[in-house]
Amino acid sequence: MVTNIITAINNIYRTMPEQAAYNYLGTTYSYRELTERSNALAQVLLRHNLPEQAPLIVYGGQQFEMLVAFLAAVKTGHAYIPVDSHSAKDRLLMIQDTAHAPLVIAIEPLPITLPKTNIITFDEIKALTPMTYLTGNHPVAGADTFYIIFTSGTTGKPKGVQISHDNLLSFVNWLLADFRWPHQPNVLAQAPFSFDLSVMGLYPTLVTGGTLQALPRAITEDFKQLFALLPQLQLNVWISTPSLVEICLLLKDFNAEHYPTLTHFLFCGEELSHKTAATLLTRFPDAHIYNTYGPTEATVAVTGVEITPTILEKYDRLPIGYVKEDTKISIKPIDHTEIGEILISGPSVSKGYLNLPAKTVAAFAEETDFPTYRSGDLGFFGPDNLLFYRGRMDFQIKFNGYRIELEEINFYLRQSSLIKQGVVVPRYNADHRVVQLIAVIVLNKQPSSTEKELTRSIKAELMDNIMPYMMPQRFVYRPELPLSANDKVDIKALIQEVNSQ
Amino acid sequence: MTDTEKIYQILKDLTDEDFSDKGDTNLFETGLLDSMATVQLLLEIQTELNVDVPVSEFERSEWATPNKIIAKVQTLK
Repeated sequence: MVTNIITAINNIYRTMPEQAAYNYLGTTYSYRELTERSNALAQVLLRHNLPEQAPLIVYGGQQFEMLVAFLAAVKTGHAYIPVDSHSAKDRLLMIQDTAHAPLVIAIEPLPITLPKTNIITFDEIKALTPMTYLTGNHPVAGADTFYIIFTSGTTGKPKGVQISHDNLLSFVNWLLADFRWPHQPNVLAQAPFSFDLSVMGLYPTLVTGGTLQALPRAITEDFKQLFALLPQLQLNVWISTPSLVEICLLLKDFNAEHYPTLTHFLFCGEELSHKTAATLLTRFPDAHIYNTYGPTEATVAVTGVEITPTILEKYDRLPIGYVKEDTKISIKPIDHTEIGEILISGPSVSKGYLNLPAKTVAAFAEETDFPTYRSGDLGFFGPDNLLFYRGRMDFQIKFNGYRIELEEINFYLRQSSLIKQGVVVPRYNADHRVVQLIAVIVLNKQPSSTEKELTRSIKAELMDNIMPYMMPQRFVYRPELPLSANDKVDIKALIQEVNSQ
Repeated sequence: MTDTEKIYQILKDLTDEDFSDKGDTNLFETGLLDSMATVQLLLEIQTELNVDVPVSEFERSEWATPNKIIAKVQTLK
């Protein structure tokens, strides 16, 4: 069992320094580089005399130096906030508005200037001399915050979920114990670091001396490059949203014969369909395929189950798993049915949202030894203590694995001078998965331009404020929208309408 | 249904939009097809039209408009 994340990574460095920690498109980086370069950067952070425990923003893509920056932050007692370089440019401002980070580690150049903030650039990090020892530092430990992931908020302002060292420790130990984690595996690192699915591979791999195999976004978007690269990675553990594996299943060669080392699949972030799991099991008959579930607020995942032929035979809609041993899940009943809100209590549940006490109180309760998180997810316990997911209580959705509050997009739609009323509704496929976001819009006045031009203008306005994955695929213009009893736009009616054809 | 009609139907199911009179719309540039929707498109084409799409040689530019998709499917038949 791991007792301290930073110490465990240091131990790998001490016992096998030349083992590869990260492979980025053919360039490998050892545990020596990871440790000694993060020590050097930590030394620089110490010299900045930053306020104790103040969170630091780490901005970039999937470069190795992102890991160096994460470790440098936690080694000096600072939580890190990963911000993906694909973010909308005002996102960084909004995050800084809440976080007040005294310093940003910019692995990629910042798209905007942040007032009163120190910046450490990529070139400065590159120029540092690696350091074997680091002294005079107080690493993040116990209940101290280790990382903060910002997630979509209903009022247009993202919320930062604070995950402590002990939250992360509880998650890592569960993953190593309950998922037959292989010895020093090659693990797929596809998710951007601003998405907590990335944590599922990151720390379990680093504390066990495995190698993370990066799959940057540009590659996943180009099938030709994707299928040229994948076989070279010699993966043992596959971690992704179900969407990515569905792309790969298009390729006939994606099977055990061509990928003999690939023995584990872990899915999280959106619903794993029966069809995808069944096809995958036919292609990889001896592999262990796991479905998992959990909100960012409870550290990546809190339930998991191996999808075996027996499970596939028994259930048309797959279970999301058994609750991890140290955690309690209860179902708060709604309308006297067996389906209710999933409430999560345990050592991996977050202490709350950074600098947002009102939002924290609204979502977390301190009733027992650990906080209880009201997930807003609907579910029920089936036979054998298996948990099943049945949708949301509100207008939060998962789209390609990303968590989106529809109200956040609506908030920015309403800011547009062209729009009188506007709401975004999801279209679902037969597997209950969102396939498209449709913006339904009532214009302020009769437009002088074509719908195509209008859509382009509205998109350009939205682009500065919302993440690229929140951008609606379609814009539909209407003279009016259905209203509910209290004169608000009846989003539920619109969702039904869009999905009834 | 002809192959062309089938392709328009697949696109309509995917995007909720009828392209039969706008065959030159660029589906990627307009944001109508992201990589996941592209996967769905290729899957549907494989099953509905019974052609093998060589995914590992997939080039977006060759599949960018409804007309290009129709032409491409013909060459794969």
